[in-house]
Amino acid sequence: MKKLFLYPAAIFAEVEPTQVVTILGSCVAVCLWDPVLQIGGINHFMLPLWNGQGLASPRYGNIAIEKLLDKMLFLGSRRQDIKAKVFGGGEVIETSINQFRIGKRNIELAKELLQELKIPIISSSVGGKYGRKILFYTQTGEVRQRYVGKPKNTQNKFSTEIKTR
Amino acid sequence: MSNLEITDEVLLAELKKRFEEKKKAIDDFQSLTAQLQEVNDKLTQSESLKSHFIANINNEIVNPFASVLGLSRSIMDSKSNDWERVHRLAKLIFTEAFQLDFQLKNIFAAAEIEAGRVYPQLSNIDVKHIILGIMSDFDSDLKAKKITYDIELDVETGDDQTFYFTADSEKLRLILANLINNSIKFSKGANIEIRIKHNNKDKNLIVSIKDYGIGISEHNQKIIFDRFTRLDTGINSINRGHGLGLSVVKAFLELFNGDIKIESQKGKGSTFTITIPEQQSDDEVTDFSSEGNEVFFGDGNDELF
Repeated sequence: MKKLFLYPAAIFAEVEPTQVVTILGSCVAVCLWDPVLQIGGINHFMLPLWNGQGLASPRYGNIAIEKLLDKMLFLGSRRQDIKAKVFGGGEVIETSINQFRIGKRNIELAKELLQELKIPIISSSVGGKYGRKILFYTQTGEVRQRYVGKPKNTQNKFSTEIKTR
Repeated sequence: MSNLEITDEVLLAELKKRFEEKKKAIDDFQSLTAQLQEVNDKLTQSESLKSHFIANINNEIVNPFASVLGLSRSIMDSKSNDWERVHRLAKLIFTEAFQLDFQLKNIFAAAEIEAGRVYPQLSNIDVKHIILGIMSDFDSDLKAKKITYDIELDVETGDDQTFYFTADSEKLRLILANLINNSIKFSKGANIEIRIKHNNKDKNLIVSIKDYGIGISEHNQKIIFDRFTRLDTGINSINRGHGLGLSVVKAFLELFNGDIKIESQKGKGSTFTITIPEQQSDDEVTDFSSEGNEVFFGDGNDELF
């Protein structure tokens, strides 16, 4: 299977089954998966909204999600078939100032925008204090996740906290 | 029953506190609305600049092409022994074609960045050599505007022959070419000072490009990295450009976790300084590369989603 490392601010969506790896801190990755065509795509954004400065790149969540959806539609997916999985948005740098909670703002943006686009989020692992390494199989939609920089024995306990939140 | 024991003062203080909290919430809300309004204005502006851009690149691409076609026809019509003329025309063709190529590189780079298809391709590069290459590409502009230049290499390891830095050579080249192009565009008959710095401690590559040109006002320093922004959009503008160069520079630097700073005074010149952290020539270059690489999948501890 084709393997790919997804850099921040990049988007990937192709028909060929691919194993995509990416590492997330406060960044968020949205995986879009079409179970009918068995294709998928993924982005990796760093900040929630493009404010008109610089280029309109997928570094920003609103751009990254819309562009990824466009790519999926271009590959032949029907909008109503597409499902989403959301990962990342950990607060790897602690701060008490709300404006600086980039992870939280990234997660909120992803959830709001996907809801607006009427794409259901079928699973997610977001927030927390640690980074994540995820592996996304575009054909099956399966995502494997590991925490990064976190003691081993707490690995699974921690994740259940997140999921029930 | 304890509620009844609250004195008037306590009650007043509490009410006052709540009132202030409400007021603060309203203030916050208003400032948020103002911010949104500002972003909205900017996006609308960006869209209108985009249509302006399309009209603009039409000129940028069609004009050099027309020149190249015209000049090559002149070469074909030249007498077979008039080498001097052929040489002169070939040089003009090169300049036009180079400009065209440079503009197109920026346009394609911007398109790739906006499509999320940019990946760093790392190699060991000789930074000074790249800058010398760019300078020779701009040779005719330098001569026409009587601009001289110095390149200073201030590194702890290696010298002119042996200093290498790991980065994406094509992207670094485009970053530097854009900055140098700007310095040349906005100066005349002066010197351009280029300084390459690297130390063993933080391992950042720092390149500063200082010109003694027209300078940039403080207001404009904030907007020059926005796409399609040209500071002289008047009809009699003598400078070419499509306003993408610096936004491409900024986006590429962000890709490398780098940074750019401007120091400038109107009428006195500008200094652009870029800082690029050392890139790891591994597939997995991220903030987490060191920890991330220790994580392997498939030993049964993965979580499935």
